[in-house]
Amino acid sequence: MVKKLTALSLAFSMGVLTACGSNGTNVSTGNTNSGAKAEGAESASSNKTVIKYWYAYGEKIEEAKLHMVKEFNESQDKIEVIAEHQGDYEDLHAKVQAAFAAGDAPAVTDLEIASTGVFARSGMLEELTAYAEKDKDQLQLEDFNAGLMGNAYVDDKLFGLPFMRSTPILYKNVTMLKDAGLDPEGPKTWDELEQYSRVLKEKGKVGMTVPVDIWFYEALVAQSGGQMLSEDGKTAAFNTPEGVAPVEFWKKLSSEGLIKMPVGDEAGATADKDWANQMSAFKFGSTAGVTGSLEIAKGNGFELETAFMPANVSYGVPTGGCQLVMTSKSSDEEKEAAWEFIKWMTSKENTIYQHKHVGYLPTRQSAVESEELKAHFKENPQFKVAVDQLEYARPRPMENAYPEVAKIIKESIQKAILDPKTSPQDALNQGAEKANKLLSK
Amino acid sequence: MTVWEKLRPYGMVAPAIIIFSLFFIYPIFYMIYLSMFDWNFVSPVKTYVGFQNFKDLLMEPDFRQVLSNTTIYMVLTVTLTTVIALLLALWLNRKSYFYGFVQGAIFTPHIISLVSISLLWSWLMDPEYGLLNWVIGLAGFDKLQWLSHPSTSLISLVMVAVWKGLGYNTLVFIAGLQSIPTDIYEAASLDRSKPWRTFTKLILPMLSPTLFFLVIINMIGSFQVFETIAIMTQGGPVNSTNTLVYYIYEYGFRFFKIGYASAAGVILLIIVGILTMIYFKMLSNRVHYR
Repeated sequence: MVKKLTALSLAFSMGVLTACGSNGTNVSTGNTNSGAKAEGAESASSNKTVIKYWYAYGEKIEEAKLHMVKEFNESQDKIEVIAEHQGDYEDLHAKVQAAFAAGDAPAVTDLEIASTGVFARSGMLEELTAYAEKDKDQLQLEDFNAGLMGNAYVDDKLFGLPFMRSTPILYKNVTMLKDAGLDPEGPKTWDELEQYSRVLKEKGKVGMTVPVDIWFYEALVAQSGGQMLSEDGKTAAFNTPEGVAPVEFWKKLSSEGLIKMPVGDEAGATADKDWANQMSAFKFGSTAGVTGSLEIAKGNGFELETAFMPANVSYGVPTGGCQLVMTSKSSDEEKEAAWEFIKWMTSKENTIYQHKHVGYLPTRQSAVESEELKAHFKENPQFKVAVDQLEYARPRPMENAYPEVAKIIKESIQKAILDPKTSPQDALNQGAEKANKLLSK
Repeated sequence: MTVWEKLRPYGMVAPAIIIFSLFFIYPIFYMIYLSMFDWNFVSPVKTYVGFQNFKDLLMEPDFRQVLSNTTIYMVLTVTLTTVIALLLALWLNRKSYFYGFVQGAIFTPHIISLVSISLLWSWLMDPEYGLLNWVIGLAGFDKLQWLSHPSTSLISLVMVAVWKGLGYNTLVFIAGLQSIPTDIYEAASLDRSKPWRTFTKLILPMLSPTLFFLVIINMIGSFQVFETIAIMTQGGPVNSTNTLVYYIYEYGFRFFKIGYASAAGVILLIIVGILTMIYFKMLSNRVHYR
């Protein structure tokens, strides 16, 4: 009890301290964070509209976001945007939700695309249709890549604009392939991936380390010609033969030791490490990792190529990443400011910038066709793959229950892979039964 | 008595009462209220569903697994921590620089943030690159999957909890041992009592209030385990490390089902409440030798 009270009073005094800070007592501490706050406070006094923008992820992604925010603030004198880091997408979503309930939501936030549905339907998001109509000449909505707009609309209403968008791609260690006498152009199909992995296994390596990840699974289902959910979103479709095929493929390859499938929380990190340490020749990963992976390849002295994810009956990938959305409870003035900011962040120039800096997709057709990116692709073909692959891209499911369904699917796949007695079909059937209960509500 | 004198005590306790009601009492009642609704935290519509959330919870096989995970985790953590801490305390209960140093060393995990500890152990337990598997490999045994397999994940988390809690428990046991009057020991040695007999008939009864305090505190603490799970396993693989508090968090803040999460919260409240009541009941009866 005493402990709790002390912690509480500590929290209080900290609250008071921060409150002082943001009221503009303006002590320059050299710390970037308080610096940003002080700036905000100054601008408040000169009648600028101050809005908050919450974003996810650090490193290169954060660098790019903060750079664009800074440029925006310097480009005009009416709006001041204060950018605040909130962890990964899940942390961000939880915090936006809590802040919204408390009436203190940021005016603009990143939003992972599959969550657009649940956020929009619960009234947290401002519909952008009218804004887009008003500024249609400047915005050029049709300039955005059509493959990226699927998650921007909920029930035919526009709620977000594509910002840092991605697809999963195949990263290849070409040096390893050449050493093993394999054609560095492949593997283009699942069968080829299996053959390549057999050869690599003989060399004491594995073809690939794959975490059990819902996004990659969505990709393999697409490659098999299947769907995650039925057309109306009321029932599961992942227990069809097209949904079972990826799990059987994974189970077969991992039980023969051709690929490795770690299942823990660190699985994603393990896959990246295996690839970086040249234990595996391939990894699946978001386009957001191109710049970072190129640096790793260069540092570890191997050649990196990117490619489409291998096809089963066809190529296919889900899109991913985040869009920018506006929350619904801000004042009209803040909403206008938020709209200006969203337009700026999704402009042709900025989508080119973030693509080159991080590796996320250039979201606009005009950006892809620009001289700047044409020259960039020529020099760095690794960046172009994801853009080309967009032809085969599809949106992610946006049903309210999908986050929970995704967890169920992940557990079913883990079970099928870990337990030799559970067949992929049985595991997914059980998962589908649970999912149907949630989806039919 | 003036009015002021009458009011003064109330004025003095008011800040504590207000904070307590606002941050402890109000949330509890609000949670009980929310457990009767189907709500996503932000939508203007709350749908009253009565006890449906509780029915759903108890019918849900995953929730039953969560309860059994939590119980297994608690029993293992409490037993191992208490037994090892007691043995260490018996060994360390003497004065010299060496024993002081060992005491200090096993106490340090207690003052490190649990988040750092979780990150550190995730790294130690990494199946491919971790230090533990490297040592196991050197010793010639098969590598363990640690957190990455349902058969070992929960026990791995227990290991971390025991490692973290050991120092504090040992320290409290040593304090308990030192509060036993020395003349009783002297009387026992004059009677030529054997060490085992001294332990069971003398030390253990004298130590029972301390022992009981630690067991209850550890039980309540284990029921509330969250940080290690959020950081090291997120409840997986295959739900094998999902415990009550993490389950509540998951449904409240990831799946936006506040009513359902609140119902699970009420169940946690009941369990912890019962444990606390047992503790106070026993405390008033003075657990002691008779």
